[in-house]
Amino acid sequence: MSHYIVLVKQVPDVSQITDNAFDPETGNLIRTRLPSVINEHDAQALAFANQMRVLSGDKDTKLICLSMGPPMAEEVLRYSLARCADDVVLLTDRALGGADTVATANPLAYGVRKIVAEKFGGSSDYYIIAGMQSVDGDTAQVPAQLAEELKLPCIAYATEAEFINETFRFTRIISGGSQIVEAKKLPVVVTVAKYEFPVYPTFSRTRRANKSQVSQWTASDINAEYIGVKGSKTRVIRVFPPGKTTRKCQEITDVKELARILVEAASAEVKAQETEAEKKKHYLLPDDRPDKFDRSFEGLEKEAQDYKLLMDIFKEMGIQDLSQIDDAKKEQIVEKADGAYRVKALEDMLDGLKANTPTYSGEVWVCAEHDGTAPNSATFELLGKARDLADSLNVECGVVIAGENIQPMTKDLIAAGADKVYAIEHPLLKEFDPTAYRKAIATTIERHKPQIVLYGATPQGRVLAPMVSYRVQCGLTADCTGLAINDSSRKGQIACLFQTRPALGGNVMATICTKDSGCQMATARPGVMQALTKDYSRKGQIINEQVELTEEDVSLRIIKTEMGTGEVNFDAEVIISGGKGLQDRTNFENKIKSLMSAISGKTGAAVELGASRTAVEQGFAERIHQVGQTGTAVGPKLYVAMGISGAIQHMIGVANTEVIVAINTDPNAPIFKSADYYIIGDVNQIVPKLVQEIQAAE
Amino acid sequence: MSNDSTLNQVSVLIVGAGPAGLSAAITLKKADPNVEVVVVDKAAGPGNHNLSGAVLEPGALHKLLDSAVPDWQESDQAKKVLVSKVEKDEVLFLPGKNLSFNIISMIKMAAKMKLGFGQMVHHGDYICSIAQLTSWLSDIAKGMGVEVVHGFAVEDIHYDAATGKATGVKLIDQGLDKHGEKQCNYVAGETIEADIIVIAEGCDGLLAEKFIDKAGLKRQAKQLYSVGVKEMIRVSDEQYAKFGDGHVVHAMGYPIWTPVIGPGMFGGGIMYAMGENRIAVGMIVGLDWHPCDFNPQDALTQFKGHAFVKQFIEGGEVIEAGAKMIPEGGFYAIPRDPATNAVGKSNVLLLGDSAGFVNMCKIKGLHNAIESGIAAGNAICQTLNNTSGTAEQYTTLLTEAGVFAEMETAKNFRQTVAKFGPLQGMPLSVLGKWLPQFDIESDWQELTTARYRLKPSVKFDKDTFTAVAATEHREEEPCHLIIQDETICVEKCLSKFGAPCITFCPAGVYEKIQDQPKAANPSNCLHCKTCQRKCPFDNIRWTVPEGAGGPRYKTM
Repeated sequence: MSHYIVLVKQVPDVSQITDNAFDPETGNLIRTRLPSVINEHDAQALAFANQMRVLSGDKDTKLICLSMGPPMAEEVLRYSLARCADDVVLLTDRALGGADTVATANPLAYGVRKIVAEKFGGSSDYYIIAGMQSVDGDTAQVPAQLAEELKLPCIAYATEAEFINETFRFTRIISGGSQIVEAKKLPVVVTVAKYEFPVYPTFSRTRRANKSQVSQWTASDINAEYIGVKGSKTRVIRVFPPGKTTRKCQEITDVKELARILVEAASAEVKAQETEAEKKKHYLLPDDRPDKFDRSFEGLEKEAQDYKLLMDIFKEMGIQDLSQIDDAKKEQIVEKADGAYRVKALEDMLDGLKANTPTYSGEVWVCAEHDGTAPNSATFELLGKARDLADSLNVECGVVIAGENIQPMTKDLIAAGADKVYAIEHPLLKEFDPTAYRKAIATTIERHKPQIVLYGATPQGRVLAPMVSYRVQCGLTADCTGLAINDSSRKGQIACLFQTRPALGGNVMATICTKDSGCQMATARPGVMQALTKDYSRKGQIINEQVELTEEDVSLRIIKTEMGTGEVNFDAEVIISGGKGLQDRTNFENKIKSLMSAISGKTGAAVELGASRTAVEQGFAERIHQVGQTGTAVGPKLYVAMGISGAIQHMIGVANTEVIVAINTDPNAPIFKSADYYIIGDVNQIVPKLVQEIQAAE
Repeated sequence: MSNDSTLNQVSVLIVGAGPAGLSAAITLKKADPNVEVVVVDKAAGPGNHNLSGAVLEPGALHKLLDSAVPDWQESDQAKKVLVSKVEKDEVLFLPGKNLSFNIISMIKMAAKMKLGFGQMVHHGDYICSIAQLTSWLSDIAKGMGVEVVHGFAVEDIHYDAATGKATGVKLIDQGLDKHGEKQCNYVAGETIEADIIVIAEGCDGLLAEKFIDKAGLKRQAKQLYSVGVKEMIRVSDEQYAKFGDGHVVHAMGYPIWTPVIGPGMFGGGIMYAMGENRIAVGMIVGLDWHPCDFNPQDALTQFKGHAFVKQFIEGGEVIEAGAKMIPEGGFYAIPRDPATNAVGKSNVLLLGDSAGFVNMCKIKGLHNAIESGIAAGNAICQTLNNTSGTAEQYTTLLTEAGVFAEMETAKNFRQTVAKFGPLQGMPLSVLGKWLPQFDIESDWQELTTARYRLKPSVKFDKDTFTAVAATEHREEEPCHLIIQDETICVEKCLSKFGAPCITFCPAGVYEKIQDQPKAANPSNCLHCKTCQRKCPFDNIRWTVPEGAGGPRYKTM
């Protein structure tokens, strides 16, 4: 008889976000402008847990929902009660506010312990089910970190549960495919990636939910270790609006020209998401700077400007040494600064100028991911970035790689920029098991103490990184799109990793720094960083790491792995999508697939089929192929939209695409306004010609 | 798990958490705090399915709140919701796309002479968003102990012909797939039993029409409709300052009515100052329009392009939008029990737009919706021990409140205009209240093969319109828009009218797929129900989708 604890979170409804939802001054979301709702992934997790209970046929089990948030978050618990929860608990306390993922996972874990003790009678026969991530934070870290705190296995990105021989088997998404696994023992944490059968509220349950008292536990009730701002391992430095992508909106009339554009876009190296300015400004440690007062590497533009002004004033006043500055001089400086800062702020800045030693020390590492034969492309991209960061810091660049028979891969890693490869060879690491891998990687990190560790934001990296970071007690920032070394001199922070990531479904960007940690960790989105060209003449050192592992360390039993099949690969470099303009299923498949094979044949790029909502509704393609706000949001190098009008709901889902090409008969099709290139014409005539031209292209 | 079965029984069930239903709940709860009152609504949250201008006559609202909420005028919500009072009241006649004449002095004169259309004076009324007003009333009701539950769609009413009473309502089945097959999460619709059922669903209510049919209520004249399409536009500081707070504009003429050459449609445009640099711009058109290629949104586009309107909104951003029908049949289209003349029957009451309490001379129904809620709340309280007489008592209180008397002044207004056209009909309508009652054709029978002369060159962007209406339905649920006979669409409609549903549906639900008109995008539906009333072959039926589907209006 298994019980269930479902983690639910209240979030602002980001699907209803509007421009005026943000404070123009600070870039912060004005929460009251958006309705609060249950995190959609958690709603799915609740339905998933309920379905598990139905499958098990066990009616006497308890399903308890746990949430942490302000008192108003009890709304999501009433939502749960109205559907299928038997009991709910809200952790609410001012002291718990302002928490990052560590300071969220930790109190939640203590909440779980209290629920188990008080409501399950100490039984260990239970599942913790959570949505894979929240739509406001998008980090996916809390469930994995909670698992780590409770020392439980974690099955991430589950899409299905089957009940076979009194045990649950879960289908989970892995990079490039799917896998059926079962936990060797309970309890286990399961995160749900997609479950499309919502559990409906009933009228009677809703009335009862509205009348019932939600039990609230305060910080002192659970007595957790890491809470609130104090217990957090990261802090937000600034929030700003994302740069608006401007599309070229260029009409193409020649099919040959269009073919050239498609081939070029599909075979383009990587997307250059980092701005040129960021790349050019190569960080120098304070001691390496020609001018010792140079503070042009501040993480905040405002700080850099303030210091620039101070440098100019120093020059004007002939100040060459900080000891020359007495109170009278300070007054003088403040006067010259003309309101830019007052004495107190100036003193902070002068203290900042004394800070010259980097806050962190150690190497810059990448945690490699591979399929048993070769590291994935994300690993090489991260390595390009790590090399750059290591050069800035005058330290070595390392890679840690775990697995069975990994030696052949080490030379590629060195060629791609690593000075050192830490190889953890073990037969039990043959397949990715989060618990075993966590132990292997964390042990190696604790042994060598790098200052930075980067992971790919892949299904594997997004489980492993939170577990490792939690184990070694350091901060982690998920899904970064920008990583740079900068200073925060006034806070005495020198040469720190400034981690920039989108949040709130890409509606804002946040720059985050690690705090109270020995190491800075981040996961980075694949396709964002630039890999180096492999140079096999590079020299590097291979260090064989010994980590003791036993069968006990392996938490999951892998039943079956399927690569590539069944699932749609929306991480493909190219997506060819069709809408209702393609008239029927046969024509839809013909046109799209002929263009897909032409492009993949010519460029070798991974190509996937997409569809607009209307096309799916008309049965041209399966729902799983649907691109857009209510389907999947994609960000390929090239997106080709054929016979798609370009409803805003569709375009939101392709906003992160590098190049958008549209083919439509309607000269007023809205999609032309949000495409880079478009051609007015009939898909039926254009595609066959286009296929020929692509094949003939150089 | 505790026994939930008693939770499916309630004393008073109110279907529809709009101004009418909530007013009834508030009034009843104030009169007798011990009565169990439950309001159910299909929208995801309070106000989500409420759209209006809105200019609100203060009388009814004050009457409701003065008795129920002490010091309500001082509350933050009152200040937020009742944006401002009308200070500048303009009625314009637009002869073409550039000219405009202010005819407010004429209207004011008519008001002095107590002519019907003199009621169009709005000075001193509140400008407000009905979605926000509803949300506020919902909070007040909940604070008094009323249960307001959202996300439940009522499909049918259980009516016992033997006793002449209704016993309860049935919610819709949920968790069916596109083909109507049960998914693993299927739940059969619950039955909610109630002693008294208040139907306050709004215009062209599904339950209301089913009840009228089952209980044999009769209308003396057919119900007629208009559809309103509205956009909330954020404009620049300069534009808003120029327009001014407290300013409302009602416009007649271009682009839906011009003398001699036409078109000759009923309705007009509105512009209301909504605060925070927002101007609500809308177009209301009688559903009896003739041109088969007409879309009210095209008229909205032309209205927005008129020189007078353009100066205030050009370059502005549409931040919210929506569409809704208005019942315009007036006095003679109110459904009544032939035996007692009650608006409802026995223990079932019809309120607000479900009954059709819109005064067409004022183009307003909100005050009557609230007034009908107050009457219903008091009537229920007075008849809790004899629910057979609730509807009659309700009707008596409506009469006492002067709702019918006011409606009578506007009787025949819309019918006169519909029969004689705006040119002759408008002036004739002055005599309307002295004319005998006469009937005209239903709106859908008025469609012809005529073309709309002022069609804009660019197709209206319905996708963006529905996006800012934030409308959403579960995409795998069965299509809730039923085309009864698809062969009619191809064989009769397409060749003759070119499937007007494709053009007029403000959400772009209908599309031609392989030469077959279909309800291709039901998840975009705004629940305006225009299709059900304007399909020239009366071939479309709007059924209710799963609970919580539909638009999510915030400030409409």
